[in-house]
Amino acid sequence: MKKFIIISLMVAMTLPTIACGWYGTDNYYLFSPYTGQAFKDRVEKICNDNWKAYIGDTSDNDWYSFHADDVLKAARQKGDALMVSYVENLQKYLKCVSVERDKQYEWDYPSKEEIAAQQRDLKAVRTYAQGKTSSKLRSQHALLFMRCNMMLGQHQENITFWEQTASQFIETVYKDMMKNIYAGALYKTGREMEAGQLFAEMDDYESLMSMYYLKRSYQAISQHYKQNPTSKALPWLLTDFVNNAQEAADAVNGGGGSIGKQFIRDINNQESWQMQQFCEMVVKEGKTDCPIMWKMAKAWLEFLSDKKKDAVDDILAATKLDGTARMKDNAHVLLLYITASQAKPGQAFDDYVADELEWLRGKQNETTGDSFFDAVENRLTNQVLIPHYRSNPVRLAAVAKALNSSCSGFDLDTLNVASTEKFLYYVNSPANTKLDKFLKRNIALNDTAMSDMIGTKYMRLCQWDKAIQWLNTVPISYYNEHRGKEYLYYSMVRQWDVEPWAKRQWLDSSQAWERDYKWWKHRKLDFCKEVQMMENSLNMLNGKALEQRCYNLATRYAQASIYGDCWWLLRDYKSCWDSVRVNEVDMAQKAVKMLQKAAMSSDLSLKRKALFALGYRELYNDVKKGPKYWMEWKWVEGESTEIYHRDSPQFLAFQALYNETGDQPQEDYIRKCDEYDVFRKYYRQHR
Amino acid sequence: MTLLLLAMIACEKQSSRKTLESGQAVYYWRTDLRLDSAEKSFLAQYHINKVYCRYFDVVMNDDGEPKPNATISFSDTLPDSIEIIPTVYITEDCMHETHEGLAEKIVKRIQQMNETNDIKNVREIQIDCDYTSKSRKRYYQFLEEVRKFWGETLSTTIRLHQLAMEVPPVDYGALMIYNTGDPRKWEERNPILDFRDVEPYLRRLDSYPLPLAAAYPVFQWTYTIQGVRVDRTVEAEVILQVKKAMESERGDLSNLIITYHLDKENIERYKPETYEEIYHH
Repeated sequence: MKKFIIISLMVAMTLPTIACGWYGTDNYYLFSPYTGQAFKDRVEKICNDNWKAYIGDTSDNDWYSFHADDVLKAARQKGDALMVSYVENLQKYLKCVSVERDKQYEWDYPSKEEIAAQQRDLKAVRTYAQGKTSSKLRSQHALLFMRCNMMLGQHQENITFWEQTASQFIETVYKDMMKNIYAGALYKTGREMEAGQLFAEMDDYESLMSMYYLKRSYQAISQHYKQNPTSKALPWLLTDFVNNAQEAADAVNGGGGSIGKQFIRDINNQESWQMQQFCEMVVKEGKTDCPIMWKMAKAWLEFLSDKKKDAVDDILAATKLDGTARMKDNAHVLLLYITASQAKPGQAFDDYVADELEWLRGKQNETTGDSFFDAVENRLTNQVLIPHYRSNPVRLAAVAKALNSSCSGFDLDTLNVASTEKFLYYVNSPANTKLDKFLKRNIALNDTAMSDMIGTKYMRLCQWDKAIQWLNTVPISYYNEHRGKEYLYYSMVRQWDVEPWAKRQWLDSSQAWERDYKWWKHRKLDFCKEVQMMENSLNMLNGKALEQRCYNLATRYAQASIYGDCWWLLRDYKSCWDSVRVNEVDMAQKAVKMLQKAAMSSDLSLKRKALFALGYRELYNDVKKGPKYWMEWKWVEGESTEIYHRDSPQFLAFQALYNETGDQPQEDYIRKCDEYDVFRKYYRQHR
Repeated sequence: MTLLLLAMIACEKQSSRKTLESGQAVYYWRTDLRLDSAEKSFLAQYHINKVYCRYFDVVMNDDGEPKPNATISFSDTLPDSIEIIPTVYITEDCMHETHEGLAEKIVKRIQQMNETNDIKNVREIQIDCDYTSKSRKRYYQFLEEVRKFWGETLSTTIRLHQLAMEVPPVDYGALMIYNTGDPRKWEERNPILDFRDVEPYLRRLDSYPLPLAAAYPVFQWTYTIQGVRVDRTVEAEVILQVKKAMESERGDLSNLIITYHLDKENIERYKPETYEEIYHH
């Protein structure tokens, strides 16, 4: 039976799925008082663009990466001997760097000889580069010289070289990189404060983090301020502190998302409170040139500490203080978020939100290369607006659709069908309010897709007449154009009249790409009509005909359930984690009820088939009360242990079947069932 | 008469178990072997003769392959009188499946690191892994392979809960007498060390057939609990109470004593008398 379950799981995992396993975090940081392009990305891009231009690459590729051979070839063609020697030496230097990397992360740890060669090469490259610091490529060679010094640990030499020579060079990306190495040398020689200023000026967050990793507490930041109230590192340190406080608050509220975020430090309420007091003191002292930043930091920390009223007062005060345009925008964002999260429902709020959303969209269009305002919209939508409109399903759906909500817990596909119909009507009717105008302008709905969705929702409720009414308006071409190859393959090949307990319709999903599968008849509509007809005539039947009809209906319900082979009737996709959702009937349990009627039959063959079907474990996956299966494994003290549930419906069905057929059943379909075989072995000894 | 016989068998069993040479040791768990004056004095003051030095970690990379990580640099050397024992920490998930050649790669890397950095007279290596019943079998097979490629003394760390398992194929184990509690219940019990968490394992000590060194905690534990940072250290009295109880169950646990881990802050955390008692044989 283990094999049976494993195979089931593996097959389920090969079905068309959506990427639901991982979502990016939506707890974007809202404290962002300055913009800056990270140093490493900035210089890397400029360097690579320079190389691209040098080799004459005119392709549209936005990103070029350095290949020494290409540059050497171009340099030789141009007769540029200096560039040839520079690149050859740069290659040597990069090889030395790779030896360092091997030391850390590779199985082949460098030998003594390799390290000696590395040191030798570094010295040789250094001497070469030093000799060319007055050449046409002086900046590049000076950078190479400083890089070698850095690797050799000759930091003082780099300080002297920068201060006496390189700092006089013209402004280039190479000079920026030299300045960065100079800052590193200052740090290595104990001149931390100066190094921090330079790293902050350059937006070198990695270096700032390395420097201040253990100096990010309230205590450390307040001491830093006392030494230099206008230190350029302060905005960075304050931002780091506030964002870590947000991370801690989000984690408490279950919304934390440390995936992909580095260097998180946890801030407790005590430390946050100390920082709030400190921010207030900084504003009052008047030594800072950006009081707005400190005041809004205080407001945001208060909000995160659940002091909502204080947060409102302080963020309002912050908006009146001095600071850069970005800081003012940031204060605007925080005012929006703080007030919206406390607002009562009503027209005034709706109008306010409409204006603010227009403002946010405007900011998104204004800024390039900075996704802050997109992140604000995301967090505002998921954490404020979706909860705010939770009791108004139509507005909720509109907000979610217009603002592309994800990770908010709202899913149009599971909204009840009545609200979905109202939502469709809402979208297609004229807007009356500011907010409706904004939302409707930003909603792109496909009416046919909506008809399919509503029709399918009625199918999930087994309301076949309404399902037929909606699905009738959906042309077959819609499915052929809007469903993936795997969906079309499964839906064309799998049949709903095959008893799933007797035969699983295993398919090789790779076949979906072998042929162009298309619907040529409306599979969903056909199913609805067939089941509707079968249900409607139940009252007219009796005896064996009725029992057989029940069995046949059970087959169709079981196939249409999420665990059936024809899951595609009620869903567009399936994953192995899926189960019966809200606003849908448990089709498997509906099948069970029909099978119970069929199992009462005096027709021995039908009775046995129905009892056998009642032992089908996929029918019980969503049972809410009592045990689901007749047997399961549990980890007890580190060992896998079998637990038997003699009161489970599956056990009772197998027991009835055993009593009916004896220990050696004649029917092939019973004998070949490995799960029933396990049951027989158990039951023989434990009657 | 029966009781006497049992006692004799018990004595015989105990005496047949190898015992470790007496010594004082520390773990060194940073990424650069660079000792400040306080750390150097500590080594001398407590006659430390072994340093279990973490050379590198082995972690699963994104391609599902074990790779070295956080390799140590050697800015300093240890005094000649101190034996260095290269120690490798392997994350438990590396043992969820068999990785061909892993043992050989680790041994070769250690040997190369020794050669490159002029570290001589290395006679032993230690592997640290928080193996569970799921990974135990693979881990033991892996240790067998390490032993084959290494050829000299091999030890492994043993967590208290691992005392209930079959013994690993090594020369001795370093019993980690720390991280005994459930971090989620940090308010009730100290997760680093609490006598109540150690007590259930005491009865297993004497019958555990492998020679054991005892490793005691002197570090500070920092953990994030629902967004709140929690720091914990162990009271000196607790360490000494546990040591006493452990040694009364199994006397040879006082032969080789290790503290985790050498660091200026940890040195300053306890009084010299405490360290003297911890290292007392």
